[in-house]
Amino acid sequence: MARAERFVEADNAEAIITRIEHKSRKIESLLKQYKPVEALKTALEGTYAMTGDERCKSAHWIAVHRALMAIKDVDGMLSSLDPEYYDILMKYLYRGLATGDRPTCDQCLRIHEKLTEKAGLGCILRFLTDTVNTV
Amino acid sequence: MASTLRPYLTCIRNTLDAAMCLQNFPCQEVERHNKPEVELKSSPELLLNPVLICRNESEKCLIETSINSLRISLKVKQADELENILTKKFLRFLSMRAEAFQVLRRKPVQGYDISFLITNYHCEEMQKHKLIDFIVQFMEDIDKEISELKMSVNTRGRLVATEFLKQFI
Repeated sequence: MARAERFVEADNAEAIITRIEHKSRKIESLLKQYKPVEALKTALEGTYAMTGDERCKSAHWIAVHRALMAIKDVDGMLSSLDPEYYDILMKYLYRGLATGDRPTCDQCLRIHEKLTEKAGLGCILRFLTDTVNTV
Repeated sequence: MASTLRPYLTCIRNTLDAAMCLQNFPCQEVERHNKPEVELKSSPELLLNPVLICRNESEKCLIETSINSLRISLKVKQADELENILTKKFLRFLSMRAEAFQVLRRKPVQGYDISFLITNYHCEEMQKHKLIDFIVQFMEDIDKEISELKMSVNTRGRLVATEFLKQFI
């Protein structure tokens, strides 16, 4: 029984990784057209259809990271982003801050300040308490 | 360098503001005991996600929260050997006098230079925003202190060397 479940998990993971690769290509093309905000929106969509698989999470993180680093105008990006994406964005920001890589941390710190002003402390608290949907 | 200090401290301040939601919670395993759950980590339902905020490769801050306690661990920038030694000695000096600070932890967490442990009792006696101001102010002052110490060591070394070598002129 458990073996069957694990097969289903593996298939699911493969399907998800293909979907993420699809999304990465779409993100690359959007970035080439100088549309970083749309790229970020595409990257953040559908994150919760995820399994707990580490590979899916890393693949997703790579796509979001690519879109995040291309953002230059933080205020504009936040004003055009739907509020439902604030929580997911906050989770990815904290993942970026944990990497320790200087340019990533610079960018994440900049966005974090503005996002907290916009979304409030509740956003941070939802990230702290959500142990189920980690990113 | 200074351009990332402000956002780094603001991020830590906001995260602490959100994470410092502590209440009294007696120990679930042993009756009539009250222990800081973040130190014991005995029940996963009492712990929140730990947060790691890095400013760059050498400076970081780990914030772990639980229902009745909060632990903040800092790693301070150490550019060379001398700063390494100065930081270790200075922070060890402070940690040994942890009673006076109340919120300081006697030993830093593995991998970090200094740690704070804030419990619900501290939040009841002291004001939450003042505690956060203290932590952030501490982080700013540590950097200044270490630079001052380094400068005074270098100045003293230079004076001593000049005096000593004068006899050979």
